[in-house]
Amino acid sequence: MTWLDAFSLAAKSLGRRAGRAVLTVLAVGLGATLLVALLTIAGTARTRVLSELSKGGPLAGVKVAAAEPDPTQIDEDNAKPGAPKDLDERALDQIRALPGVGSVVPVVTARIVVVPTSLPPTVTLSNTDVPGGFAETVVGANLGRISALPISILAGRLPTAGASTEVAVTPGWLQQLGLGRKEAASVVGQTMVLAAPRGRGRGLQGRWTKATVVGVVAQEAASGQLVMDQGAVTEARAWSQAGGPVGRFSQPSSPYAGLFVVARRLDQVTQVRQEITQVGYSTQAPENLIASVQRYLRVVEIVLTGIGAIALVIASLGIANAMLAAVRERRREIGVLKAIGASDGDVLRLFLVEAAVLGLVGGALGTLTGWAIASGVGSVVNTYLTDQGLAGVRLSLPGWVALGGVLGSMVLALLAGTAPAVRAARLPAREAVGAA
Amino acid sequence: MVGLDIAVVHIEGLHHAYGGLVVLDGLDLDVAPAEHVALLGPSGSGKSTLLGLIGGLDPVQGGSLMVGGRQLRGLSGRGLADHRRATVGFVFQHFGLLDTLTAAENVELSCTLAGQGRSARRRRAAELLDAVGLADRSTHRPPQLSGGERQRVALARALANRPPLILADEPTGNLDGESARRVVDLLAALPAQQGCTVIVVTHDPVVAVRADRQLRLVDGRLVGGLADLRR
Repeated sequence: MTWLDAFSLAAKSLGRRAGRAVLTVLAVGLGATLLVALLTIAGTARTRVLSELSKGGPLAGVKVAAAEPDPTQIDEDNAKPGAPKDLDERALDQIRALPGVGSVVPVVTARIVVVPTSLPPTVTLSNTDVPGGFAETVVGANLGRISALPISILAGRLPTAGASTEVAVTPGWLQQLGLGRKEAASVVGQTMVLAAPRGRGRGLQGRWTKATVVGVVAQEAASGQLVMDQGAVTEARAWSQAGGPVGRFSQPSSPYAGLFVVARRLDQVTQVRQEITQVGYSTQAPENLIASVQRYLRVVEIVLTGIGAIALVIASLGIANAMLAAVRERRREIGVLKAIGASDGDVLRLFLVEAAVLGLVGGALGTLTGWAIASGVGSVVNTYLTDQGLAGVRLSLPGWVALGGVLGSMVLALLAGTAPAVRAARLPAREAVGAA
Repeated sequence: MVGLDIAVVHIEGLHHAYGGLVVLDGLDLDVAPAEHVALLGPSGSGKSTLLGLIGGLDPVQGGSLMVGGRQLRGLSGRGLADHRRATVGFVFQHFGLLDTLTAAENVELSCTLAGQGRSARRRRAAELLDAVGLADRSTHRPPQLSGGERQRVALARALANRPPLILADEPTGNLDGESARRVVDLLAALPAQQGCTVIVVTHDPVVAVRADRQLRLVDGRLVGGLADLRR
């Protein structure tokens, strides 16, 4: 008898005892549902929590400030920087060349004038306050490498890489406007006029750009409330520095306001921080917090996996029970099969295939249901987070969870079905026929 | 007289016991090819045990039992399964059909276990169901068939792999008169039509008289069995 023949016979046999098969499948499905739902929710929660800790950036991210390291703060996650120290190209190259460093994204800043009303392209400003305008710092980074930056979006999107007329604002900007995080979306689409100031005689000249707010980031930028692409900020800064003195609009002396360094691996963050400290700069990274939280999350995952696994084991006991009952009920059938030539192996195969089919169908059903339940929970959580003005969660079903739900259920069913199948296979043909 | 070289079934000094209860005690028997033999005897006389031993349902405990020239004593479980699949066709009192399968699928099952391909076994099942007069019931499941029809399906299944030996254990025990007659007709015709040897265990004298030879089994021994044959 081939495996295909065994499958066909098993399917017909299960179909004949549909009620019991359905109940057994439901038991397996319930176990798989619990396992998949718990692991999916736990996995998503883990991602969300770690993302919150890393501020949406890579977990192995390290912030480098344009400041000397404070020797008393070196082991702290949020180390306070020491005295200001210019962060230039040479320092950038040195840090980029460190062995544990995976990538480096420089951050630049420029002091600019922001006017919420439109002005002509070129206006000569007096050295006093611009009417209706105020001084602000715009932060620039290579937004083409968003995945390497600790930035996440509250509303809208980030400015397009290379765009000089798109700007994102921080929650601090919203606060200035008297808005909460929940109202972040209301500023998207607003326009503002930005001016890079340059000294001209005893006055100031502005290089004006009309920019549209395309999004709100979830994080506060260290030194400013506007975020633009690095090119636009560098250009504004260069234009401003090419002129005469600009007083309180003076640009910072350090070419880079900071760097965002990503270590090759999470366990290399400490080493990278030490190396950067040796180069002479202050760093910050939530490494201790992340390690600590990861330990707790791991414990939670183990507990949840245990709960799901217990459910599956209980379900597999149900399979064993159902199959033992089937063997008892089908003694005559087994005897007849043997009488017409079935070997012990044929009978074993038949019962194992039945168990595997129950496990496979139950596992597949449970995985789908588990995913649906996790999606439902995710949707409720998303609604809550959005109401609170926080970024939502992105639910994902890891491949190993889906595969584990289906194949794990099948393997457990096979294990549970082995003893009944062996018992069926060893049933003497005469005794089985005699039981008729 | 049946010579040892041509006997389909050759038994010498067959002994079988369940625990301490001796069921067959030094039984001798020869059955010729295409012979139709009826085994009679009171309940517990060992008729079904003898049939089961010839059919390879039980391992031989003592004595010699050869079927088609093959010694069954000492055969492993796999060897007995091969014997059952290739040499014997069983017909049971309780039909022994699988309710989950149609009549045709039940017949096909023997061919499936013998490793035949799908189209070959379908053809064989159709041919046999036609031969037993059930061509129009091939898609019906056993619960949809009468007792007589079920037994005819069982007979078709027994013939599926063209075995040289058909063993029937009380084949009419659950059938009414007319159905029993049709089944007995079919069984009785097998030696002539298919060249099969048929051994029937029965309590029914009507079934027994249709056989070429009637043997009585009493206390584990045949009354006049081998001696009659040799005479």
